[in-house]
Amino acid sequence: MFPELANMLSWWQWLVLGAIPPAIVALYFLKLKRQALEVPSTYLWHKSIEDLHVNSIWQRLRKNLLLLLQLLLLLLLALALLRPNWHGRKLSGDRFIFLIDNSASMQATDVPGSRLEEAKGKTLELIAEMKSGDVAMVVSFSDGARVGQSFTDNRARLRDAVKAVEPTQRSTSLREALKVASGLANPGRSSADSTDTQVAEALPAELFIISDGCFDAVEGFSLGNLKPTFVAIGRPEAANVAITAFSVRHSEADMELLQAFARLENCGQQDVTVSVELFLDDRLIDRDRQKIPARDAVPVTFDLGLVESGVLRMKVEHDDHLSLDNEAWVVLKPPRRARVLLITSGNEPLQWVLETDSASEVGALRIEPPEFLEDKQYAAGAANGSYDLVIYDRCSPKEVPRANTLFVGSLPPDGKWSAGAEVGSLQIIDIAASHPLMQWIDLGDVIIAAGKPLQPPPGATVLIDSDVGPMAAIGPREAFEDIVLGFTIVDEHADEDGRVGKYFSTNLPFRIAFTVFALNLFDYLSGSDALGQSGFRPGSTVELDGATPRAKFRVRTPAGRKVGGETDKLGKLHFAETDELGVYGVNCGGKKFHPFAVNLFDTAESDIVFDLNRKGDPIVNIGYVELAGQAGWTPARREIWQLLLGLGLAVLLLEWYIYNRRVYM
Amino acid sequence: MPDTSTLLSPQLLAKLEKMELISRKIFRGRMKGERRSPRKGQSVEFADFRNYVAGDDLRFVDWNTYARLDKLFLKLFLEEEDLHFYALIDNSGSMDFGTPSKLQYACQLAAALGFIGLIRGDRVRIEPLDQSPTSAAPVFRGRQSLWRMLDHIEAISPGATVPLSEGVKNFCLRNSGKGIVVLISDLMDKSGYEAALRYLVSRDLDVYLVQVLSAEELDPDIQGDLRLVDCEDGDEAEVSVSRVLIDRYQKTLAAFIESARDFCTRRGIVYLLARNEVSVENLVTGYLRTRGLVR
Repeated sequence: MFPELANMLSWWQWLVLGAIPPAIVALYFLKLKRQALEVPSTYLWHKSIEDLHVNSIWQRLRKNLLLLLQLLLLLLLALALLRPNWHGRKLSGDRFIFLIDNSASMQATDVPGSRLEEAKGKTLELIAEMKSGDVAMVVSFSDGARVGQSFTDNRARLRDAVKAVEPTQRSTSLREALKVASGLANPGRSSADSTDTQVAEALPAELFIISDGCFDAVEGFSLGNLKPTFVAIGRPEAANVAITAFSVRHSEADMELLQAFARLENCGQQDVTVSVELFLDDRLIDRDRQKIPARDAVPVTFDLGLVESGVLRMKVEHDDHLSLDNEAWVVLKPPRRARVLLITSGNEPLQWVLETDSASEVGALRIEPPEFLEDKQYAAGAANGSYDLVIYDRCSPKEVPRANTLFVGSLPPDGKWSAGAEVGSLQIIDIAASHPLMQWIDLGDVIIAAGKPLQPPPGATVLIDSDVGPMAAIGPREAFEDIVLGFTIVDEHADEDGRVGKYFSTNLPFRIAFTVFALNLFDYLSGSDALGQSGFRPGSTVELDGATPRAKFRVRTPAGRKVGGETDKLGKLHFAETDELGVYGVNCGGKKFHPFAVNLFDTAESDIVFDLNRKGDPIVNIGYVELAGQAGWTPARREIWQLLLGLGLAVLLLEWYIYNRRVYM
Repeated sequence: MPDTSTLLSPQLLAKLEKMELISRKIFRGRMKGERRSPRKGQSVEFADFRNYVAGDDLRFVDWNTYARLDKLFLKLFLEEEDLHFYALIDNSGSMDFGTPSKLQYACQLAAALGFIGLIRGDRVRIEPLDQSPTSAAPVFRGRQSLWRMLDHIEAISPGATVPLSEGVKNFCLRNSGKGIVVLISDLMDKSGYEAALRYLVSRDLDVYLVQVLSAEELDPDIQGDLRLVDCEDGDEAEVSVSRVLIDRYQKTLAAFIESARDFCTRRGIVYLLARNEVSVENLVTGYLRTRGLVR
């Protein structure tokens, strides 16, 4: 690294400076003005000088030592005036927080080694820049934050913490890391709530985010006393083709046939043509070529035909900078019809809608009268989860079953739900259209004769809201969900003549929304959509149902590691070590269980080209503050003119010493 | 005791009165002095008898012995004679250095030795180096001549431009008498001191050489870049004084002194190095006594 020179003098000043060395030399060539001293005789002096002049070349050099020293001094001064400097960085402040991104995108290889290696290298450089007494902490973050080293001034420990940061295949959540970082800088208050009183002294800190910026903007976060600096890692010309979605569905044309859908995204700046291969249990079953325009995505569809079960693997053949997202897996579960139990004293519209052809393909309906609730068969089935969905029409069991439920005109018996008095002539004012159960449903012309406004438990979602209160809601219960309708569909009551008859409480059954709702219900609650489950995200906790309660299980990770555990009392299998991408084999209670897949499927991670602002600098957004890459550096010149002047002073002192002592001549 | 000039202090005179000059050689004095001569002569001190031979002075016949033995015997007495003492003072420019100056020191030394000679009845002649070849310096004899001698010495001024060899040669031409000669010089003559000493030796004189050097010459205390100017001929030497140079100078000086001493020893000349810091009293009563010039 060569220093840059900053010219401090104008041309004529340089001329003057340049004239000084010849002048000094000229003065040396001229006779030295010596002080005359009369002595008795120069006889002995002449003899002495002659003796000394025997080794005259060395003597001449020695004699010229002062001249050389003066020229050296002048050279040093001229160098100092040139102000040689290096572009350097300067750490301002005395408290530093280094946030090192170790998410999946940091494994991109567009920089030597990987982005994570470069980030670690940059952090080590920053630590080296720290002054004595400065303190720093090291935090690595992906979807969570991990404090590698809390505040210390021990640089060796900081360096060790940086070196210990390992790559992960997780997504990025800067917010977690920012919360950790802001803990000391903004004490006594949460990052979101500025009304908290401050209880401790704020310790402002310099925050270094060493990342590739492959994450969404962090909104609603106040940095407070943190002074952020974004150290951008990576190159703008990075190329990546990613599989951002992969699933398997029944074919629209023939429900017996399966289709695989995938979405390929080209995150690079160049159009690419890639080859996509599909494997079933590691056997190549299909191949396709796709042209993907730059910064665009294309869908890919493969007809699978009749496939019962297995592991589907899709692979994109493309030499890009991030290989993690070039593969995706789907575990095909064997087709299973949902088991639906309808307990009703007679509800033809509901029976009809649940027994249509489409519905019977995805679910097997069993209809029982309310007396069945007293049956041992029901009790056993409800307790061991034999049903996927139990519909209670105008009746209620003694205990909630271990299944998803739909209560029509009644309430679950666990006491969490309550309802007001019956109100007539209701007006539907709103539906939760975004909820999967209410998709494609229009209740605009639906009339409800009478209903009880519901008071759902906390965490529940109101599906249908009326002018008197919620008429339908869905609430979670352990691993299941309960849907409660505050109104009946068909009701029995006596008329004026005293005859008991069935009456429609609503015109809903005559609307197409009723059929759609029934299908949504099957899809959502019966578990029939588990067909092409594309699995879980890395780092998430996997919950698998249907295992034997309190049984030992063992999971084999894609890397071949074996992790053991025990299912809970409800027969749920919890597994958290999902850091690797791929298919996890599960063995529970000695029996082979359904495997599950972990896929990246994160557009933010796959898009390894960072956002640029107008100036072309990489940016990240934190709390509506745009941080440009390295904009927070204090650009500093590392200058050595002080050193040069110091050296000059030393030379001057040496000259003075030699002149006075005449050490050498 | 008369008041003496700056040359001789009363204390020194008191010490010098008890001393006498010694010559290692036998010289015939011209007049009777207070010095006992190895030769037999006329004095009150009896030495021996010898048979009378024709022509002997009848005054020295021992008539008492003749009356007893009827034989003529001559009484022999110890002869007392005087001594020629010469002091040759180098009054060249180089001698006018030091505190006291080397010339003054030389004059003091010459005065002290001359005084010893005077009180012993010797013939004392003190000459500067640039004494005119034709007119010799006066000869002093007897205690009463002290003042004249001191005046004469004090009149010697520095600045002689005569080379050492030339001055000594002229001295030898002027003075034919034998005796003791003390050359007091710093020997700082670029043409060399050897020829001068050879002249003295050739005259069969009892030669003493006192080389007077000042402290400044023996241990120069100078610094810096200097142009050394020779006070005699204006010759210049440019030096940048350093430890090395000083060491080298002192080695050269030591070699110079040693060569002079060696030269003198080979030729029977008594050499003595005198620093101008050592008082004349010490020199005379100490060094010169051990060297056998005075007793």
